[in-house]
Amino acid sequence: MLALDKVDFSCNTGEVHAVVGENGAGKSTLMKVLAGAYRPDGGKIMLKGKEISFSSPREAQRHGISIIYQEFNLIPDLTVAENIFLGREPQKQMGFIDKKMLYERAKELLENLGVHIDLDVRVSELGVAQQQMVEIAKSLSLKADIIIMDEPSAVVSGKELESLFRIIETLKESGKAIIYISHRIDEIFQIADKATVLKDGKLVGTVDTSEVDKPTVVRMMVGRNLSEAFPSRGKAGEKKEVLELKNVTRDGILKNVSLNVRAGEILGIAGLVGAGRSELARVIFGADPIDRGEIILNGKRIKKSTPKHSIASGIGYVTENRAHDGLVHSLSVRKNLTLPILDRIKKWFFVKEGQEREFSKGCVDRFNIIAPSIEQEVRYLSGGNQQKVILAKWISIKPSLLILDEPTRGIDVGAKSEVYSLMRRLAEQGTAILMISSELPEIIGMSDRILVMHDGEVMGELFPEKTSEEQILMMATGQEGKTPGEE
Amino acid sequence: MRFGFIKRHSATLIVYIILAVLILATSILSDVFLTFRNLENLLRQVAPLGFLSVGQTFAILTAGIDLSIGSVVSMASCLTTGLILSREPLVFPVLVLVIGLALFIGFINGMVISKTGVHPLIVTLGMMSVVQGGILLYTRSPYGSVPISFDFIAWGNVWKIPFSIIMFAVVAAVSVVFLRLTVFGRYVYATGGNEEVARLSGIKTGRVKVIVYMICSFTAALTGIFLASRMGMGDPLVGERYMLDSIIPVLIGGTRLTGGRGGVVGTIAGIFIFTILSNALNLLDVSAYWQWIVEGLVVIVSVSFYFRQKG
Repeated sequence: MLALDKVDFSCNTGEVHAVVGENGAGKSTLMKVLAGAYRPDGGKIMLKGKEISFSSPREAQRHGISIIYQEFNLIPDLTVAENIFLGREPQKQMGFIDKKMLYERAKELLENLGVHIDLDVRVSELGVAQQQMVEIAKSLSLKADIIIMDEPSAVVSGKELESLFRIIETLKESGKAIIYISHRIDEIFQIADKATVLKDGKLVGTVDTSEVDKPTVVRMMVGRNLSEAFPSRGKAGEKKEVLELKNVTRDGILKNVSLNVRAGEILGIAGLVGAGRSELARVIFGADPIDRGEIILNGKRIKKSTPKHSIASGIGYVTENRAHDGLVHSLSVRKNLTLPILDRIKKWFFVKEGQEREFSKGCVDRFNIIAPSIEQEVRYLSGGNQQKVILAKWISIKPSLLILDEPTRGIDVGAKSEVYSLMRRLAEQGTAILMISSELPEIIGMSDRILVMHDGEVMGELFPEKTSEEQILMMATGQEGKTPGEE
Repeated sequence: MRFGFIKRHSATLIVYIILAVLILATSILSDVFLTFRNLENLLRQVAPLGFLSVGQTFAILTAGIDLSIGSVVSMASCLTTGLILSREPLVFPVLVLVIGLALFIGFINGMVISKTGVHPLIVTLGMMSVVQGGILLYTRSPYGSVPISFDFIAWGNVWKIPFSIIMFAVVAAVSVVFLRLTVFGRYVYATGGNEEVARLSGIKTGRVKVIVYMICSFTAALTGIFLASRMGMGDPLVGERYMLDSIIPVLIGGTRLTGGRGGVVGTIAGIFIFTILSNALNLLDVSAYWQWIVEGLVVIVSVSFYFRQKG
């Protein structure tokens, strides 16, 4: 499969051009090609009428193309001004840094942007939104004509997003070309002049946002009706409670979280980045300790939980950052699959390898994992197949509670619906599922109930048939739901 | 299928090919090399470094390292000779005591590393200093003596084969089985490969590390006891050079400092390469300082080779 298949794309000065599409549509790949991080296998890039090619991000920078990733490239222990001019510090004789000049020029840049950030504050002390501003100032200092922003709204929201939009306007007026990557339709209509829609690595089309309406763009993005994407819900019966949390608190991270999940139910946890959702998952799994409160699993109060106990009592946990903490990359498919259940397939001290092989082959067949052999080290597998190994690893412990943190992040659209039907099947077989997701359609489409978190607290419970993306967002940004301090 | 096997073990195969080439080259260059006396001598040299490198392999597989083993070697050698003082009935109890004390040091290393999260380099460096200081308080010069029967460990033969190489073979074989076939071995690789994944998979990574550092100290005790037997006297500084020397065969053998990849089979080849190399340079009358240079280059070249193999 091609990550990007013969896509035409053009952008003019003084224009905000949105690139939209679902996860896995090829947005990021396109941007990385433009920014010099990937080399295209075919096709041309023209800049101001001239054909160019670059082999590194640095070369792309020299051509005036700058990219702002979701994860910023800032050095936490340097100040704002030092970060803006990192690697390009104005110098006096003998290579000493001209601090005065450095601060003057940084000040000028930030003033032009109309933002107020102390220049001599260390970046680690800034909030995410302010860090984003520093990144923008940095790309301006590079004399960038084209600024690519990779899903900026994934990290900021509300008022901060508004001020980001104002800055984008300023940049646009000064003749810069802005390429704005997002999958959020509302934003695009608010900020962009044009939108290019990608799907499965192919170009669907480019439209003027003034000439089309939102549903048109959604149809282009999805290529089908949204409701088709999710398997239908099972009947909600009175099933037994698998997990209950009572006022669980982890100081500074989780505040009085209470919730319950029943067998056969998918509980969706919505919220913005930093709302404490993954931290909640870790606490339930016993990966982190709690300071106060009670966790009750299958009717029994858990005193001190560890991952080992959790697995033994039937909790599976698919983490969010699967590239980093999903698999042991130096071990084979077989050895990864059996890691949580090695205790169950041993005789004395020894692993029963025959049984282990049989088990692994079963997993490979059942989850359609494509690998040359179960002895292949997982680092040689494709991203999608690595994900399948992770899911197989946890589902095969036959969990009574399965925690899925962003289950469809980083996988393509086809694989997404596979994951959805898998989740539904598990629920029908009686597994309780706790699903954390930042994708609102997924939250609404998959959950039987929705909890919205903000700042370490549960803001409220919603039902998918009686709520909207807007309402969830209002709660997630703390503008609706319970007031601070209330129990 | 067969090809897959070769591919997966290509690094180990290459180390053994290098070892074979080294043996071949040395036997051509020196007519003494293949004599019975030289081979017997060479095999006797394998044991002290061999034990340590096998132990060190465990630590490095968990992405750690044990720098305290050198001083534990010195401690074991001095206490063995110093407490036995040629009294034969005391041999067994003293050996038990020495090994027990070494295991305790390893236990402390492992506990501190897993409870505090401080890098093993720092923890074991500190421990090295503590143990070395302790042993220098006990004796500042070579001390003690052993009964004649104790010589057997270093100098004895079983069917013309040096006893020490048999001991090494047993230690190496047990380690290979341990790492390859047991649940614990799997946990060692998982902990070194990605500790967080291992922990979230229900592995008590702290316990794994404690056991690993106890294994390290145990092998250090074996080396100390061997040296006590070879010299008939304990030397408080005898272990010093082993701190770094023990790491070299592990790296030559293809175990990565980043943990999770490699194993004792590679280390065994590394030990022989290291030992034969210094034996060969000796036979060829090359100055000891040149030997240092050659050994250093071998380490750098082999490790950068593995690095190019992508991890």
